[in-house]
Amino acid sequence: MTKVIGIDLGTAITKFASIVNGEPKALDNREGSVLTPSIVAQTKGGERVVGILAQRQAITNPINTISGVKRFIGRRFSDAEVQKELKLLPYETRERSDGSVEVKMGDKWLTPIEISAMILQKVKADAKDKLGEEIKNVVITCPANFDDSQRKATKAAGEIAGLNVLRVINEPTAAALAYGFGKKDAKKILAYDFGGGTFDVTILDVSPDTVEVLATGGEAHLGGNDFDQIIINWLLEEFKKSQGIDLSKDALALQRLKEAAEKAKTELSSSFEANINLPFITSNQDGPKHLEYKLTRSQFDTMTKELVTRSIERVRKTLEEIKLNKNEIDEVILVGGTTFIPSVRDAVKEFFGSEPNKSINPEEVVAIGAAIEAEILTAKDEGRTPEGDIKSVLLLDVLPLSLGIETMGSINTVMIAKNTTIPTSNAQVFSTAVDNQTSVEINVLQGERSMATDNRSLGRFVLDGVAPAPRGMPQVEVKFDIDASGILTVTAMDKGTKKTQSIKVEGSIGLSKEEIEKMKKDAEIHAAEDQKKKEMIETKNIADNLIYTCEKTLKDNADKIQEADKKDVEDKVAELKKVKESDNMDDIKKKTEELSQAIQKIGTQIYQQQQQQPQEKKEEGSSDAPEAETEKE
Amino acid sequence: MTKEIEELKKLLEESENKKNEYFAGWQREKADFINYKQKELERLQELLSTLKESFTLEILPIIDNFLLAEKAIPEAEKESNSIKGLLLIKKQIESMLKSLGAEEIETINQKFDPSIHEAVEEIEGEEGMIIEEIEKGYKTKEKVIRPARVKIGKGK
Repeated sequence: MTKVIGIDLGTAITKFASIVNGEPKALDNREGSVLTPSIVAQTKGGERVVGILAQRQAITNPINTISGVKRFIGRRFSDAEVQKELKLLPYETRERSDGSVEVKMGDKWLTPIEISAMILQKVKADAKDKLGEEIKNVVITCPANFDDSQRKATKAAGEIAGLNVLRVINEPTAAALAYGFGKKDAKKILAYDFGGGTFDVTILDVSPDTVEVLATGGEAHLGGNDFDQIIINWLLEEFKKSQGIDLSKDALALQRLKEAAEKAKTELSSSFEANINLPFITSNQDGPKHLEYKLTRSQFDTMTKELVTRSIERVRKTLEEIKLNKNEIDEVILVGGTTFIPSVRDAVKEFFGSEPNKSINPEEVVAIGAAIEAEILTAKDEGRTPEGDIKSVLLLDVLPLSLGIETMGSINTVMIAKNTTIPTSNAQVFSTAVDNQTSVEINVLQGERSMATDNRSLGRFVLDGVAPAPRGMPQVEVKFDIDASGILTVTAMDKGTKKTQSIKVEGSIGLSKEEIEKMKKDAEIHAAEDQKKKEMIETKNIADNLIYTCEKTLKDNADKIQEADKKDVEDKVAELKKVKESDNMDDIKKKTEELSQAIQKIGTQIYQQQQQQPQEKKEEGSSDAPEAETEKE
Repeated sequence: MTKEIEELKKLLEESENKKNEYFAGWQREKADFINYKQKELERLQELLSTLKESFTLEILPIIDNFLLAEKAIPEAEKESNSIKGLLLIKKQIESMLKSLGAEEIETINQKFDPSIHEAVEEIEGEEGMIIEEIEKGYKTKEKVIRPARVKIGKGK
């Protein structure tokens, strides 16, 4: 099985994803981030670096640091739009003999295809690192408005990087694929892609066999960076107003402001205000100056409203172009990191009057969709089922309600918890509740309530022939086993005599949906009181066990215990017996603790006399045994 | 009779095939589960180091500001006990970083290396060498948590 990846080759940032353990997943690069800057550089030492490393040396080496080549790939140098973009670049460009663009890095002239290939080579190497396998098959994405020449150039870049480019697909199509739209019926989908530097809107008609691009629109320079800049400008202005100092000339202060602005923006996506603290931002003759402001979400929303409105206007225009009403859009997908901003999400929701799709990380959704497409194509080629699609072949059920047995004090002890995938089994060892108990009754329960009587009883049976012994000594193993069709077999076995008894419950597991919901709801409603009841019984059980152990210890070691100590324990046993009848949990706990300490004193005495009796040790152990004990009828 | 035998043979073959298929599926499932458990363990370890790392990243701005504060305090005042005490808190945070596995990245007089340094400016000095450190960088044994921000020499 060949490992595949999907690559979202972006203008500023590149991301890649693969299918890991049957799930599509965006992968980290070697530097430990999902985001790889689409930058290539030749350092002053003549070394080629790609990604974040190229970005880190950009300031000191702008001429040999190449970014944003996606804006020129497969385009003509003379193109008016290309000319406009070229003016903004710090590096050298020229027209190639075939009319395309060439960029200069070091002393070499390279095409945008070659630069893109270097980025893809890094992706290939990083993915190999991560997945431990050589990568061959890939799907690369491009904007929906890329023409044939731009697509061919993108494919060529992949091939130069040594990749087998199965297909170049549209970014919005990949996003739709990630959500699995169009598998069954045709749908009109709008992808609202608000990235770091660009805004794109694409309307697709997706059906099981075809994906048709109905319209595209957007702005080449509108993105998350503009949101950051607004915060930076606000901070600069406020600081100037209050301190009279202009920080915009201070490169280091500006750098700190930029980071703080990005952080505040991110924080405001999850909380309603962000504190921006930059101590010692600068200093003058009066000493150091600190910057300290609070930015609320509503302030931020007001400041950035214009940017959000612009994007929504673009959506409106794009719809108008193809005379489509917004109600005719079946699904809206959010793509790009800027769609994390709550006001952006709200604006989209308000415009369309319905919740947009955002459950897949908008920054990763395109790469994930590309990975899914790559896996589907490769699987088809290799004549196998796509990884991750296996679930549709082998359906496994989950248990809708917990299964358990009734134990001492009418408690429901869960043996298999709800939501466990079946087939499964679980065994646990229980013991007897009274001395010389020769039979135990197993009451099989279904439900979430703590008390046995509040649950549904699926059946009961008796295991007899247990050899008479002090309570807590016999070991009865109870095993629950559910097969794939939901048939439950409960077996009880006395480990001493090997005597076995079992019961089979068929069909009863499968309750109707309503019944299951009702039982779950009941459990929720009564959760608190059930918990209290259960705790009460458990407290009483502990007290009961301790009383039993104490009385037995006194009897078995009568000759070794001093009279005063004996009386002390006897008194405390009497006290505990008395409070145990009440329902005062604190009192019971207190008296249990007191008795426990008194008996420990005796225990120490006995050991000190170095006349250890193994039996006694066992008895003490039984009172601490975590297993609950089955009730005797 | 022969027909019956033929049919039975066919049935047996089919059953045999089915058995093999199911058995293989079962083995695969078992293996998958064991592998999954192993992967899960690795993932947990990865998660733990990611948690440590993001915790470290949260602390770094505090130590950055402490360093800035230390720089801004006039030498004469540094002898005051209150200031000394404050600076001890800085030390405390530094040792906390160390216990989280973060070590400082060397800068001054080192050759600029974009895998651990980030250049913010070029100034007078030997070409390609780090002349000044603007912000400390940190790394663990496995990776760079944050590159050091430096000014590098532009040569003659």
